[in-house]
Amino acid sequence: MIFLTVGTQFPFDRLVKMVDELVASGVIEDEVFAQVGDHAYQPRSFQAVASLDKKAFDEHVHDASALISHAGMGTITMAIDTAKPLLAMPRRKRYGEVVNDHQVAIARQFERLGHLLVAYEPEELAGKVRLLKEFRPTPRQVEPEAVARRIAEFLNGLSASAAP
Amino acid sequence: MTKSQRFKICLAASAGGHLTQLLKVSGCVKGRDVFAVTTSDTVRRTLTGMGEVYVVGECNRDHPLRVLAVLLRCIRIVLRERPAVVISTGAAHGCLLCFLGKITGAKVIWMDSITNVDRISLSGRMVRFIADLFLVQWPELAQRYRGVEYIGSVI
Repeated sequence: MIFLTVGTQFPFDRLVKMVDELVASGVIEDEVFAQVGDHAYQPRSFQAVASLDKKAFDEHVHDASALISHAGMGTITMAIDTAKPLLAMPRRKRYGEVVNDHQVAIARQFERLGHLLVAYEPEELAGKVRLLKEFRPTPRQVEPEAVARRIAEFLNGLSASAAP
Repeated sequence: MTKSQRFKICLAASAGGHLTQLLKVSGCVKGRDVFAVTTSDTVRRTLTGMGEVYVVGECNRDHPLRVLAVLLRCIRIVLRERPAVVISTGAAHGCLLCFLGKITGAKVIWMDSITNVDRISLSGRMVRFIADLFLVQWPELAQRYRGVEYIGSVI
């Protein structure tokens, strides 16, 4: 099953419609399930719901063989954390899908690091979907503890000098 | 007055990704006297254990009146709590709190969000001039901006 999720805050009908067409035309053969948000385009070729609670969402991620989504940071980190192959399409300002094109920059950076596949333009989607099955995302190195230590050191320096 | 009461730390992060990233490093304030300022009531529970939680509402530069309302709420919070340090990941209200903190003598720590890949956020670019510790999550940004540190990414 491919899980298509575009967040619940704003619709991303452009992507949902494209995936709908790819399923209808047989380019996507897998079953697709989607979370599309409120007042969104309803696909004809697969099942979609407005929103899922956290538990149901996590279950769908767990069951999915691959994910398709916008290039939102929440979805990207979730895909990396669960080691799921993700095909992301950035929301674009020119279609009124987002206030600026930061998702393009995020997508480019994480694509460069091998964490996900990206379709920047609609015509790339079909080709990238075919690569998704074989795609193995590069695990990501994060160092929250090291960053926290740096801040803690800084605070220790301050509170030591503030002590009587 | 105990020592901890005189060394209050303000944690400022908007609901969503900014807060997620701040919570990833929240171990840095373990055992310290903290309070939190966020933008939505929906994340109040996420901040359990982070001391008093203030919710000031969302604002951005496209809505100047809302910025003003948030600014007034932040002024009241800073005057009441008198933080010794403000730690923020953004967004706009975090930027306001950093400046208000600085004016009232606090040290300012900014950690720019992971989503700022090519350049530092607008809020971050302003806070950079007053920050005492400025962290970014991409090595390229530390090379591009002076006075900016890259230790690693938190997410």
